Amino acid sequence: MRRKSPVSLSRRALLTGLAALPLATMFGGCRGSTSGRSARRPTLEVWAHAGQVGERSTLVRLADSFNSGRRSFAVRLTLLPEGAYNGQLQAAALAGRLPDVFEFDGPYTADYAWMGQLQALDELLPEELREDLLPSILAQGTYDNRLYAVGQYDSGLGLFARRDRLAAVGASVPTAPADAWTVAQFEDLLARVAAASAGKPPLDLKLNYRGEWFTYGFAPALWSAGGGLVSRDTRPLHAAGVLDGSKSISAMRHLQRWIASGRVDPNLDDAAFTAGRVAMSWVGHWEYPRYRQAVGKDLALLPLPDFGTGTRTGAGSWTWGIRAGCRHPEAAAEFLRHLLQTANVLAMSAANGAPPATRSAVARSPLYAPDGPLRLYIEQLARGYALPRPRTPAYPAVTSAFQQTFHAVRDGADVPETLQRAAALIDRDIADNRGYPHREAVRA
Amino acid sequence: MKRIAGESARTTLTDNATGWLMVLPALAGLVVFVAVPFVLALGMSLTHLRMGSPLGAQFVGFEQYLRLLHDTSFQRALINNALFALGVVPVQTLLALGLALALNRPLRGVAVFRTLFFMPVVFPMSLVAVVWILIYAPGPNGLLNSVLDTLTLHHWQPRDFLHDPRLALPAIMLTSIWQGAGFQMVILLAGLQGIPRERYEAAAVDGAGRWQRFLHVTLPGLRNPLIFVVIVTSILSFRVFDQVRIMTQGGPLDATTTVVYQAVQSAFDRAQAGRGAAMAVVFFVIVLAITLIQRRLLRSEREVR
Amino acid sequence: MRRAALNILQYGLLLGAALVFLAPILFMLVGSLKPDALVLSEAGSWRALLPDSMTLENYRAVLARTPFWHYLLNSLLVNGLIVGLGLLINSLAGYALARLRWRGRDAVLGAVLAILVIPFEAIAVPLFYQLSLLGWRDDYSVQIAPFVANPLSIYLFYTFFLGLPRELEEAARIDGAGALRTFFTVVVPNAIPVFASVAIVTLLFYWGLYLWPLLMTTGPSVRPLPLGIATFFTLPPLHWGQILAFGVMMVTPVLALFLVFQRGFVRGVASSGLKG
Repeated sequence: MRRKSPVSLSRRALLTGLAALPLATMFGGCRGSTSGRSARRPTLEVWAHAGQVGERSTLVRLADSFNSGRRSFAVRLTLLPEGAYNGQLQAAALAGRLPDVFEFDGPYTADYAWMGQLQALDELLPEELREDLLPSILAQGTYDNRLYAVGQYDSGLGLFARRDRLAAVGASVPTAPADAWTVAQFEDLLARVAAASAGKPPLDLKLNYRGEWFTYGFAPALWSAGGGLVSRDTRPLHAAGVLDGSKSISAMRHLQRWIASGRVDPNLDDAAFTAGRVAMSWVGHWEYPRYRQAVGKDLALLPLPDFGTGTRTGAGSWTWGIRAGCRHPEAAAEFLRHLLQTANVLAMSAANGAPPATRSAVARSPLYAPDGPLRLYIEQLARGYALPRPRTPAYPAVTSAFQQTFHAVRDGADVPETLQRAAALIDRDIADNRGYPHREAVRA
Repeated sequence: MKRIAGESARTTLTDNATGWLMVLPALAGLVVFVAVPFVLALGMSLTHLRMGSPLGAQFVGFEQYLRLLHDTSFQRALINNALFALGVVPVQTLLALGLALALNRPLRGVAVFRTLFFMPVVFPMSLVAVVWILIYAPGPNGLLNSVLDTLTLHHWQPRDFLHDPRLALPAIMLTSIWQGAGFQMVILLAGLQGIPRERYEAAAVDGAGRWQRFLHVTLPGLRNPLIFVVIVTSILSFRVFDQVRIMTQGGPLDATTTVVYQAVQSAFDRAQAGRGAAMAVVFFVIVLAITLIQRRLLRSEREVR
Repeated sequence: MRRAALNILQYGLLLGAALVFLAPILFMLVGSLKPDALVLSEAGSWRALLPDSMTLENYRAVLARTPFWHYLLNSLLVNGLIVGLGLLINSLAGYALARLRWRGRDAVLGAVLAILVIPFEAIAVPLFYQLSLLGWRDDYSVQIAPFVANPLSIYLFYTFFLGLPRELEEAARIDGAGALRTFFTVVVPNAIPVFASVAIVTLLFYWGLYLWPLLMTTGPSVRPLPLGIATFFTLPPLHWGQILAFGVMMVTPVLALFLVFQRGFVRGVASSGLKG
């Protein structure tokens, strides 16, 4: 992990140690101040999450390329560990130490905007750029009819599969979302593949992951069954009747059954698919580079199974925003524009396999060309099979409740009771915060 | 303290100012960093405060506490904390005592063993947790599973320790005991080595056997170190957090959730500051009560009056 | 004859216990020297403890992927100051409570003992809010200041000073030295064991501190080692061999310190007021 830093880290540590005085950090000031030690030009603080290797190195490269262009300011990129990323951001926000530009997980847009931590981007980004963005990206970044966040990429979720293992049991391979297996077909397939490999678990659900994955990866099962996390269209927002409704219960029961009957690899080493132990991996776009390297041409991308109302899948990914108190938003916006340049969007997409956020990039992407290997993701986004996670300031409570639910269900808990407790938790959070009333204006 | 010949009145006066001067830095630190946040927690626990919320904090009285009273997860956390303490404190103390006794006989290489038993204490709990995740790996390949398989002559079914609601808490307890026993052992060993040999010899002359010597010489001689060790270990066992956060995240099915874990989860992951503060207050009250009870029951000799 | 049998029994028990205590450590060390794929797959066999071949690749990768030396430096700095400043102010407080008479002494002693009971975790979250609202986060001082004043250290010093023979201090007093002078010139040099044991106990406790830096710091510039390993643990992709290598490197400094000073530590504990 590299950081662009005008001052060598160990020198700063030594000086601090000798002084043993409270160190005023250099984070969180859009003052454009020189750091006093050696910065040649004013610095914009930028935070991002430390994702997969390719993602990280690409982002560092993009920051470097920005800095080497002739500009009156530079950006300093800090990569934060992904675990508890949102908690860390909020802790910084509490202390008034948010950086000028920061990345965050898309579903948290409403939360950050509601808390007044983001600046509206409508005036800062040119109209051509906004029109070039995918509708899902715009929808993700919008709260209260204003645009607060833009991402370089959206996400794709599906089943990666080894064709040979499927062919060995004579399975048909669906290519379009409309042809997705029904849950019954899927479970039958799992049984056949398991039988063909002496009972070894045929499916990987990334049970070794932590945090947001479980909401992102498995809420689509609820949606596909006709249920969900919270009410989608009816106001006021509520979880009762939705999260603990019969449709959601049935979807979670399917998942529980797969795990309980030994169809799922615990995947402690995160190598179940690459090492060939499992035939299918329920995961998002970020594994494409690694899987492609391990499996080669035999790698297939399939839609998730249909739990009742058609296949559904996830959408939304990391997105960028500008701190509300930043006094040089044009400079910050310049950095965002740099990130959204077609070449840069393509570079990131090539590194992490994600669907590019702009139409011009999609058009030029080999992965997402009409015959490209990841075309399915774009189709899912375009045709409404991909749904965003609930866009509400209550999202932290929603996702925390669902993650806990998934873990309990995975360990054999009673599904209706667990879902009901989660729904109660969410509804109580909404009530405690008086329904998260919309903000009238952004505090500058 | 009685006046000794030579001490003057002037010394006492100066002592007043000097006494306060010497104790002030530490006292100030304790007030600012312990007492004040505690008072803050009391205040926060009477609201629905959400981290970063633009809504003001509204006073809701004891509602947070009422919710905790009826929250099955929190109740489970309290039970788990109790189980954890009841399991870890005696087992770890007995283990440490046994090791200390075994090391107390002069034998070649005893120092090496002593170092070995103390080594886990040097490991930070976060590292211990990560390593033990591997040890508890499910399937026949896991280290513990295969060891148990060997020990039971292949009658052992591999278990997923950290995901089994009955085994997860004992698994975490075992990890904690492994990490902490060495520290108690050193204290008890020092205590053992402080018992004068004459007492043993006198008892032997009086005809006491090994076991009686243990009961009537060793244990009473170890009274103070044992009390210290039990109280400190109890207090420390209530604070269990790192292992839970890293190894099980409170699961499976709340089997390993603890009060501190839930407080951090509420306040930090879910931004529910009021709820987290209420948990902290409840936690303090319980630990205080238990510690006071312990001190009363285990009055140590030569206590300061 | 009985002596020999007892010796064998003693050795046997000690060896058995040593194996149990040593196994996870050996597992970690050996695992750090293996390629990733073998760490898990060989965990169940005797090869977990006695590998076929060894490689330093994991160590090289860790040093390349994370700013390990920086984490180490942070830990050394933060802990050094916690221990150093702590020894100073806590010993002063302990001495004042043990040896001097002053108004309110008993009340302060009671307060210290009461605060001793408050677990850090009970006030961690409110303290986090308190300091964050003041804007005080994400630097070294916020990781040091809350832990310098330590009721347990004060108590250990207090018990020790109570048991110290008075002759030296009286001699100094008669010579006209004030309490502070007496403390630094006479008491401290004779209290090395308790200083050593308090230092080691404090170091062991705070070297592994995870919760507080998790709440109060972001990014590696000021974060200490335990956060380093935890975040390394969540950094995709998961490389168990590297994680174990990180662990080995992380524990080596304190282990080395302990091995060097262990005799002093044991003596310090033995001469503190803990024994009967």
